[in-house]
Amino acid sequence: MAVRILLVDDHPVVRQGLRTLLEGRSEWEVIGEASDGIEALEKVGSLQPDVVVLDVTMPRMNGIEACRLIQQKTPGLEVLFVTQHDSPQMMREALAAGARGYVVKSNLARDLLEAVEAVSQHRAFTALARNPQVQC
Amino acid sequence: MKLRILLADDHEIVRRGLCSLLQKHEGWEVCGEASDGREAIEMAKQLKPDVVIVDIGMPHLNGLDTTRQLLQHDSAFKVIVLTITDSDQVIREALNAGARGFVLKSDAARDLVSAVEALQNNRMFFTPRVNDLVMAGFLDKGHTIARNEPPDLPILTAREREVTQLLAEGKSSKEVASLLNLSTKTVETHRSNIMRKLSLHSIRDLVVYAIKNNIIQIQMPPQLNGTTEGTLA
Repeated sequence: MAVRILLVDDHPVVRQGLRTLLEGRSEWEVIGEASDGIEALEKVGSLQPDVVVLDVTMPRMNGIEACRLIQQKTPGLEVLFVTQHDSPQMMREALAAGARGYVVKSNLARDLLEAVEAVSQHRAFTALARNPQVQC
Repeated sequence: MKLRILLADDHEIVRRGLCSLLQKHEGWEVCGEASDGREAIEMAKQLKPDVVIVDIGMPHLNGLDTTRQLLQHDSAFKVIVLTITDSDQVIREALNAGARGFVLKSDAARDLVSAVEALQNNRMFFTPRVNDLVMAGFLDKGHTIARNEPPDLPILTAREREVTQLLAEGKSSKEVASLLNLSTKTVETHRSNIMRKLSLHSIRDLVVYAIKNNIIQIQMPPQLNGTTEGTLA
């Protein structure tokens, strides 16, 4: 069965880029897009994805807050952060909010597919650009 | 014959999105992708694209200096600048650098195709805010755009601006020398000249200058107890 993915980023061009990368894998399906945390919460409810690919910095509601609320509403739903913040502190915030994965935008071509695969199998995947990749 | 477009942005995911957007347009092709300004200039010289799309916030050589250098090399280049902000200062610098199109990254999915079409037809493309500022400046003999600009800055040469950016990005003189194919001694001379011209006393001062003057852009973390505007730096 296909892994159903929701993309959340405030920039349509980034969503388009993510979609292009993810749709290269036949076993994955991008079922929807959202442009901020509030819309993400609505779409999690209506579309019931398996994985949410979530940006941190967004208008109206940022990704960290959205992740906390997603976990309250749908415990166990897998969240992968995709962000420009190459920061251990931000990564800790993301994991504390309930995310399973964290990758930085500058390394997406290298990390995204592996991260989605790990997270969809309920394995953690974190990789900062400046630090060695950590996989659990 | 197809319109050939060169894309320069340091984020591959953004390039993928832009490529996908542009290649839907029949008659256009993305002939090359560059991940920083220096690579963009080299590729533009080789590929001679009809349109060059450059992100402002690129490492090693930012989009504004890339535009300046491209047009210095060949004034026929048509450049669209992609930016996360349309502040007065960025608009002024982009126009002064010679950009013929100005598109906000957040609106790129909507505006970029129109911008390329405009340049293809030898017109310019600006966001409504840029148009307003240009018109206001024209009606006010240029004073409106200039109103919020910083006081006259000492003029750095193109090479000094490159060195400023690389030093502000945290590179050592040796690393800068290696990137620019210069001797370390030459870089040290540039560094002294920059500090003297700008009346700066430390690298910290240089970083502040580079941020204030859009030579480098920084990423601000969101306020985690509230909401923030998105950035794509």
